[in-house]
This record gives sequence, C-alpha cells and structure tokens, in this order.
Amino acid sequence: MSEVLRREVVYLVTAIITIIMFVEFFFIGTWSVAEELRTWAIIIANIALGLGAVRLLAEHVRNIQRRRAGVWSFSIWLIILFVVMFLSGLAGYAAKHDPSSNPVYNWLFKWPYTSLGQTLYAITGFYIFSAAYRAFRARNIDAALLLIAGCFVILTNATVGEVIWSGIPVIGRWFLDYGQVPGMRCFLIVAAFGMLAYGFRALLGRERGFYGEVAGE
Amino acid sequence: MAIIISGRGMALVILVLSYILFYVFMYLGRKGREIPVRTLPPMAAIPEGIGRAAEMGRPVMFTPGIAGDLNDPTQGPQVLAAISILGYIARECAKTGVKLDVFMPIPTALPLTEETLRTAYMAEGKPEEFSPDMIHFIAEQSPYLTAVLGYFQRERPATNFLIGGFYYESVVMGEAGNAIGAFQIGGTANIHQMPFLVATCDYMLLAEELYAAGASISKDPDILGCLRGEDIMKFILVALMIIGFLLGLARVDALIKALGW
Repeated sequence: MSEVLRREVVYLVTAIITIIMFVEFFFIGTWSVAEELRTWAIIIANIALGLGAVRLLAEHVRNIQRRRAGVWSFSIWLIILFVVMFLSGLAGYAAKHDPSSNPVYNWLFKWPYTSLGQTLYAITGFYIFSAAYRAFRARNIDAALLLIAGCFVILTNATVGEVIWSGIPVIGRWFLDYGQVPGMRCFLIVAAFGMLAYGFRALLGRERGFYGEVAGE
Repeated sequence: MAIIISGRGMALVILVLSYILFYVFMYLGRKGREIPVRTLPPMAAIPEGIGRAAEMGRPVMFTPGIAGDLNDPTQGPQVLAAISILGYIARECAKTGVKLDVFMPIPTALPLTEETLRTAYMAEGKPEEFSPDMIHFIAEQSPYLTAVLGYFQRERPATNFLIGGFYYESVVMGEAGNAIGAFQIGGTANIHQMPFLVATCDYMLLAEELYAAGASISKDPDILGCLRGEDIMKFILVALMIIGFLLGLARVDALIKALGW
C-alpha cells in the first residue's frame, strides 16, 4: 500500500469512528456499533500494553548486555521482578482466575509495591512546599498578590489561622470559593475549545501531529 | 418525536456552530486571508532550550505525563497535542545533534511516538540518528516517576519538556528538574496541575495554548483558522454569560432552560 493511500485510509477510519461516537453521544437509539468500538479500543490498549512490556524487557536486556553505567544492575532487578510477578500472576489466574489469589503475587503487590508507591506520593508534600516557596517570592506585583492570597489560604487550612484572627478563614474561603473559580473555569472553557478544534482538524485529516507527521515536513 | 438525547441539544448546537466557524476560517486561511497570531513564548523558547543542551553537551528530556490513556476523552487529546510538539522538538534536536530521551508511560501512544520521532529525524536528513532506544516505556505512575527522577540524577538533562496530561508527577518532576538546574518548558490543560507547572517551569503552555502550539511553529492556515473560530466562540459564550447574569438578576430563567434543552 502506497504511503499516500495508507494515510488516506487512516484519515477515513478516524472520520468514521468519530462520526459514530458523535451520533451515539447526541442521538437517541441503540448504538451497539459504538459499544463494540469501545471494546475494540480496550483490546487494542491491552495489546499495546503487551508490546510495551516487550519493549521494556528489550531495553533492559540491552542495558545489561552493554553494561550501561549506573543502570545495568537495576535492569537485572527489573527483569527478575518482572518474571516473578508475571509467573506468579499467571499461576494465580490459572488456579482461581484471579492473579491476586497467588500469595507471592499478592505479597509483592500489597507490601513492597504499594508501600513504595505511597512513599513516593508522600514526598509530593515536600516538593509542593519548595515549589510554593519559589512561586511565593514577591518579585513583582503579581507575585506579591499571589503571596498574600496564598498566605490567607494556608492560614485558613491551618487551624491556627482562626486563632490569630477570625476573619482569616472567611477571606481564605472567599479566595477558594469565589476568587479562583472564575479563572479556573475560564481555563476549563478555553481548553475545551482547544480540544474541540484539535478534534475537528483530526477529523478532517488536517492535524498533522495526530498522524505522526511533523511541522514543516 | 425527540431524536436528540435530553440535555444535550444545546451542546450539539454549540458544537455544530463551532465546527462551522472553524471550517469557514480554515477555508479563508487557505484562500490567503491573514490571521495574525501572537508568538507563544514557550514555543519560541524550544530552540533556546535545545541550544542550551547542545552547549552543555547534555541530553534533552520529554515526557507527556501519565494522567490518561489515548482513549481517555480529556487526557488523550493532550497527549496527542504533546506528541505534535515532540515532533518539532525532535527536529530541533536532530538539527543540533542533541540527544533526546522520551519517557512515554502510555502504551497506546508508543507507536505514534516512534513514528513521529522517525519522521522528524528523516525530515532532517538524519534517519540513522533515530533509535527506538530514545523512547523509554515505563507503565504505572510510581515506577515511571522513579525512573524519571533516577534519570535526572544520572544524566542531568539540560532541558526538560513536561508537556501533556499530568497528575501529581508534574510537581515532583518539575522540582527535581529545578534541583539539577534544568531549563524547563511545561504545558497542560489539566487545571489542577497548572499551578505546579507554572511554579516549577521557566515557560508554560496553558490550556488552549497546548493545542494551538502548532500554529506558533508552522503558521498552518488550518490551525490559525481554528484559533480564530475559537476566539469567536469565546466571545459568544462571554456574551451568553453576561446575558444570563442580567436575566438572572431579573429572575428570568428562559436562557437556563434553553441551555438545558
């Protein structure tokens, strides 16, 4: 199939699927085709996940083969744990149609993986603090206003704010409930229009990035 | 007999009106009508960031975040728009010979990412410099985040592009990037992550700018036409809001009923 024809086929498939979804969302009727397409999307996503796993393994095997400095020892761990999780999950599925029924799989997921994930999530608090420190430096009038609003919101959330002055939580809540809402909704609306326009260009085959092409090509 | 699902009629009208406006201005743009658009500072800063990496002899890192898959209605378009920008970044990297590392945590986006990078390197006449090893796939949020943080410490990239649909990884990556002194360009339409990227990045593509970034690069009449259409729709919505506000003061709910059709 020529490159041009291949591109046209992709445009056509995109347009047909978009129209089916569009009709299903707005018009009354039983649109089993749309439901079927959604099932396909899930199947394709899972196939892509399998391909991703193969790519991941290939990358880390290459790291070990090349003894990539600072990485290859971690790659060995990754492959060992990948194989253990895969086999134990498979054993659980074979026994009771549920990977978590295997005690090895369950233990690895419940204790090391979940604990490490939660630890990582917890450090976000410190990163937010340092990011806020950078944002709150009063370098200009805008940053100074941000600093003032931020202080009210922080003191509203910290119970000590109400002890200092009873008006602090009132002002803080005003910023939370009214001060920031119009701005956020504005972003929401313009982002939605941006998305609409992007989808429209993709539908017409005029969004080059959507099809793997690049600007100026 | 009603054929439109109740409550979605006005959304359909707004959608169709938007599409008509987009098409009319795309058509006018193609016919040569000039549609001025301001240069987006983050897009203008991309060559600067890549030039910095070239001078420092360090790599450039790009990641679209892990907020959602391609079939997620709100996150998918952001990832696609980010991959469009990645095409431009890859071309600039190919021009200057800077190493590009892409951390892609979304499996469904892997083929498109690979195709975009391959096309970008071919467009610059350097297909031999493209390697699938440039794309690092790590599924799940915590492993992905850990891999990026480890990469920052080992490779110390000169420039980071955090553009796409993000969740909490935005602030962690942004701050970790700041800690290694990286020049950072962020972009997202997720309003809950915008403050973090604004605080941690040197430049930021906010909301709609993420989808319009292509216009800043290519001056493509199709994208410029859509931008003009979007602007007109925004004016219409603002007018509706003002009218609704005034009618609300007069206790007339006709507009609210019409919008709920």
